[in-house]
Amino acid sequence: MNKQFMLGNEAIARAARECGVRVVAGYPGTPATEIVDHCASYPEVYAEWATNEKHAFEVAGAASLTNQRSMAVMKHNGTNAAADFLMHINFTGIHAGLVLISADDPGGLSSQCEEDTRVLIHNYAHLPVFDPSSVQEAYEMTKAAYELSEKHELVFALRPVMRINHAGCMVTYGDIQPNDNKPDFIIDRSRFVMSAVVEKELGGELRPKMRHRWLNEKQVGLKAYAEESPFNHIEAGEGQIGFIGCGIGYAFLKEAEEIYGKKLPILKLGTLPLPEQKVLSFVKDLTKVVIFEEIEPVVERLIKQLCFENKVILEVLGRESYLPKEGEISASFVLSGIESAIAGQAYPESKQSQYIPARTRTQCTGCSHRGLLFAMKNVVKKNGGVVLGDIGCHDAGTFEPIKLQATIYCMGSSIPMAHGVKVAGFDKPVYALIGDSTFFHNGLTGLASSIYNNGDITVVIAYNSTTAMTGFQPHPATGNNLNDKVQGMDPGAIATAMGAKVFHCNSYDVEETERVLTEATAQPGVKVVIAEALCYLKFGREGRLSYTPKEVKIDTEVCNGCSICVRTFGCPAITIVDKKAVIDESGCNGCGVCISVCKRGAIK
Amino acid sequence: MKFDLVIAGVGGQGNILASQAVAKCAMDAGYDVVNTETKGAAQRGGSVLSHVRISDGTIFSPLVPQGRADVLLGFEPLEALRYINMLNKSGKFIINTTQIPTILSNLKVDKYPSLEEMRTEIESKGIQGYFIDATQSAKELGDVLLTNVVMLGAFSVITDLIPADAILQKLLSMVKEKFHDADVRAFNRGRELLQAQMK
Repeated sequence: MNKQFMLGNEAIARAARECGVRVVAGYPGTPATEIVDHCASYPEVYAEWATNEKHAFEVAGAASLTNQRSMAVMKHNGTNAAADFLMHINFTGIHAGLVLISADDPGGLSSQCEEDTRVLIHNYAHLPVFDPSSVQEAYEMTKAAYELSEKHELVFALRPVMRINHAGCMVTYGDIQPNDNKPDFIIDRSRFVMSAVVEKELGGELRPKMRHRWLNEKQVGLKAYAEESPFNHIEAGEGQIGFIGCGIGYAFLKEAEEIYGKKLPILKLGTLPLPEQKVLSFVKDLTKVVIFEEIEPVVERLIKQLCFENKVILEVLGRESYLPKEGEISASFVLSGIESAIAGQAYPESKQSQYIPARTRTQCTGCSHRGLLFAMKNVVKKNGGVVLGDIGCHDAGTFEPIKLQATIYCMGSSIPMAHGVKVAGFDKPVYALIGDSTFFHNGLTGLASSIYNNGDITVVIAYNSTTAMTGFQPHPATGNNLNDKVQGMDPGAIATAMGAKVFHCNSYDVEETERVLTEATAQPGVKVVIAEALCYLKFGREGRLSYTPKEVKIDTEVCNGCSICVRTFGCPAITIVDKKAVIDESGCNGCGVCISVCKRGAIK
Repeated sequence: MKFDLVIAGVGGQGNILASQAVAKCAMDAGYDVVNTETKGAAQRGGSVLSHVRISDGTIFSPLVPQGRADVLLGFEPLEALRYINMLNKSGKFIINTTQIPTILSNLKVDKYPSLEEMRTEIESKGIQGYFIDATQSAKELGDVLLTNVVMLGAFSVITDLIPADAILQKLLSMVKEKFHDADVRAFNRGRELLQAQMK
């Protein structure tokens, strides 16, 4: 046994490595990203960034069919994108162990939305889910998941939350098991061909129904495992009110118990399906239970159903019926839940806290997107156009002070949504603003769809040559993948091949960008503007810039303190001091974009 | 034994280096340690709270519960104010007084409070603590990036959990050798600033 300080993501990667994982595929997404990076550092493991999570899951799925242990890694939004494959591989089952990492972000600390992927993976796809309460347990669950996945022939999912992925602690870990599995693809069409095929030997039953039954029958074995799983246990305590901690909810419950100062009856749960007999034996002498889980009332509803089926009279309180329904839980959240439940009171209403000036997201100083956002803003101010946004660093352009994009939904939605606005009859120009990594993730098909349907939109690709927001991962247009140098794909050439009219500009050149955007807008059909400039944060440190750095100065004779540079542009390096603009020299990266912002020419 | 430290700052101020130096020292001393960061979506320039939990028993939650922290190091006063309620009643704070305005306060969408307003509000909590200008000291020593080292030096005065020299040596082991002289000076300056206030 070895012990080392590790972050949750490293512990998960380590566990997979110990189990002989051979193929790991993912798409970057906080908080799961570093799992793939760690796996890539093991020479025996093939790791890749797929262009999206569905493809990552498909790669891992096929590796499993080829008798190699594999892992698919994504955040919750990614699991949504992969849901179609999820709803097929659940019915086929797998060969070699396959673990799906689906990281949730309670509170949406680093996400567009707050959602619970246990609903997709367990309630919808009927697959088993492990919900870790600590980094150590995330490690142990990942290891167990490989064995169990093979035993039950099913994908096993691990659903860590941000507080597991990004927490560091001492992890006790084991040795790497030799992987003697030979790659071998055994054809079994009765399992791996999902289609409305007539099954002769089943009296003409259709295969979708047969595979559905197969999956339902698997639940018996999974439930039996849950009863004996080390990830579920009961702790004795005082009183007739029991407390159930699921995943990280257990960690907060134990913390709250310590503050509360009395041993409470506690049921720790880490598996779906539930250990039903264990739950029934825990609630036997209780009048009430309170369930703490992230994020939806998944366990709560299952326990209500279990009590109903078994004619157990029990008050079941949780996020559906008692606790706040939204947001991240914490030790104080749980403590309030314990105290109010014991006092027989409602959960205290949350007091709105006093607003302390927030530190909002914006473009970095020197960021190429700021020039592009500013130029687009100028163009739509003149023509009354609307901009549909997408996911990526540029989405900060929707906040103060630029306030450009009118929508942010999910990966790639900007292009079909722009098309939708136009076909609904909106008579002013419509734009989609999308990043390069997102374009390859889910933008290609949307672009094809709009061109195919005679769209009349302008698609702007903010081409900064990296997946910047999640920590600079490569993508098909960067000229490298996780392992090798490759021929980069040119988004402009792809759009041209699809039939779009393609334009080019450098995002740092505001005048050029405005001119090109205006020209493109005037053309009929689907236009694609490739706004190309390297990400300053990634490439600046390598000395690669898409602008000629200059020493930017304020001419205090000319500056009249109108503050337009701050109010409309918002570079963090510019402030107004004593009614004059001031450039913070240590913050300024000399991109010079602000020069074109000042109408009086005071920025030089 | 249980000791909870939180470090409130702005992304780029060196929260993580400071929290890891303390975490690693505690591990060397044989304690169990859990460490994580609470961050908003903002990366550079965003609000960051580092949690370092040290115990000779089991640590369950990776986050320090509200009102349970023993020490709050505020690398920036607004961030210290944001997280002041993390401290327990007998906890202590050390707050750097140099302010970093927010984007929205630059845009006049928000008003960044004055240092006096923030001090008054923090002191109204009835918690003991110290205000030092760590950024000014770091600038005097030649690099504003030494702010976190000055703060770490100040922290070493008020903790008896880990010897000051162990923290300094751990920090030095984590940075390039060319920075060692400046780091030693910054660490000692932090100690002096605090000792001067404790007299």
